[in-house]
Amino acid sequence: MYEVAAPLVSRREVARDMCVLGFQAAPIAQSVRAGQFVNLLLRPGPLLRRPFSVYRADGDVIEIVLKAVGDGTQRLLELTEGDLVSALGPLGRGFQLDAAMRHVTLVSGGLGVAPMPLAARDARALGLGVTWVHGARTRAELCSEADADHLRWATDDGSLGVHGSALDAVPLDDVGQVLACGPNRMLAAVATCWPEAQVAIETYMGCGTGVCLGCAVPRTSGFYDRACTEGPVYRADSIRWVGLPAHLHYRVAV
Amino acid sequence: MSGPLEVGGVRLKTPVMAASGTFGYGTEVPLCDRRLLGGMVSKGIFLEPRLGTPPPRIVETPSGMLNAIGLQGPGVEALIADYAPQWATWDFPVLVNINGETVEEYGDLAARLDGVPGVAGLEINISCPNVREGGMFFGNDPGSAAAVTEAVRRRTRLPVWVKLTPAVTDISEIARACEAAGADALSAINTFVGMSFDLRSRQPRLAFRTGGLSGPAIRPMAVYLAHRAAQAVSIPVVGIGGIMSAEDAVEFLLAGCRAVQVGTATFLDPNAIGKIVEGLRPYQLLLRPLD
Repeated sequence: MYEVAAPLVSRREVARDMCVLGFQAAPIAQSVRAGQFVNLLLRPGPLLRRPFSVYRADGDVIEIVLKAVGDGTQRLLELTEGDLVSALGPLGRGFQLDAAMRHVTLVSGGLGVAPMPLAARDARALGLGVTWVHGARTRAELCSEADADHLRWATDDGSLGVHGSALDAVPLDDVGQVLACGPNRMLAAVATCWPEAQVAIETYMGCGTGVCLGCAVPRTSGFYDRACTEGPVYRADSIRWVGLPAHLHYRVAV
Repeated sequence: MSGPLEVGGVRLKTPVMAASGTFGYGTEVPLCDRRLLGGMVSKGIFLEPRLGTPPPRIVETPSGMLNAIGLQGPGVEALIADYAPQWATWDFPVLVNINGETVEEYGDLAARLDGVPGVAGLEINISCPNVREGGMFFGNDPGSAAAVTEAVRRRTRLPVWVKLTPAVTDISEIARACEAAGADALSAINTFVGMSFDLRSRQPRLAFRTGGLSGPAIRPMAVYLAHRAAQAVSIPVVGIGGIMSAEDAVEFLLAGCRAVQVGTATFLDPNAIGKIVEGLRPYQLLLRPLD
């Protein structure tokens, strides 16, 4: 784990209102694994850090993908090149890829695209075939950078690909290893279809380092553990989904 | 001022400690320069394991955060087996924050921890606002606060600190009651109870509905209450409440505190305490007693 003063080095839009920001953070970029995250601190800015899955890591640069959902993300999107954030990471346990499986199916909904480019990279490095199913509300909100051997789209309004959720677009034949990220509601559905799938969940988070116990995840064992430390990637059927907030609300000006 | 000192029977390496609930059991926080840590107070413990409250457990508020963790923890036996042996090898003192739902439970915890290697002292939590049956009741009434302090004092030779709640009419009255009951020091103060609503769901943003407010938002109130407590007693007061920098720590020292605890700052900067201790060096002269 490293704390790095990381300058913004790149920025691009990958879907309507969805941006990828690149920060120079060499030690994190060189050690991060798919599904792990960074916790970013902005000064001036909100009191606490904000957690983001690492979207891509290339050379010295890590990328995150975000939309303006609250004060912190709004401030991040207002950064200009050279502006510094404090990046803490890589944090958490990422996806565990099984080289014995012939391929992986990535299932992402909306911003759940975040950990998938790294997952695709790591899967390819192991020689696995990659199927990627990506869903969003509408065509304009689909991330334009989804990339795989087999790519499938889904939209809630039917404007591109399968009319429905990403789940509806998953091929029915051999899915291999399923890795999923998206709204907790979608991940709960993943758990009923593929109990062994690995899901990257989203929670509110305090420290990101395991001390505050703020990112509690209810497990089927009856106990809570920490998304930042034992997670954020879990076996889908190990989460007590009814105990996890289905949707995270952020306070934004009306 | 940034060197070792004795506070309430505990030898601190520096005047800046880690506050309970913000440093786990001392094994979790990475990137913290532990050479500069004055000491730490462990996450609050009960006799028995506790599950904690459902999520969401934390929300950010202006210059602060609300938390309702519910004192999740493994219980005192696991603490003694898993953590105390590690503490015994460290060069800074570890106090255990103890919690109970009855006076007897506090006393039993004190007796159980007495003589355990690695435990340098006890901090009685009479002020945790998150547990329905517990803390708040003891901390709000001088008689109850004294009863808990006395029950703990009677059953341990360890230094006994009492962590005060800010939600009282007159903190000096509670402070004096704890001193008279045998406390060696007071920690002032714990979080303020607060609430925040989500506009879309029309529900509280915390699943527990209410939580403890910490961070810079509470600092001026904390400085005031720590000052009131320090004026009321002759035992040392350890200041707590939204300390983010050395200058914030100096405010508490000027208010009459002998040392400070840092909490929320560690969440956003794992080495906050190290930086605060370094930052205290230029203030040695300022803090020298006036002739």
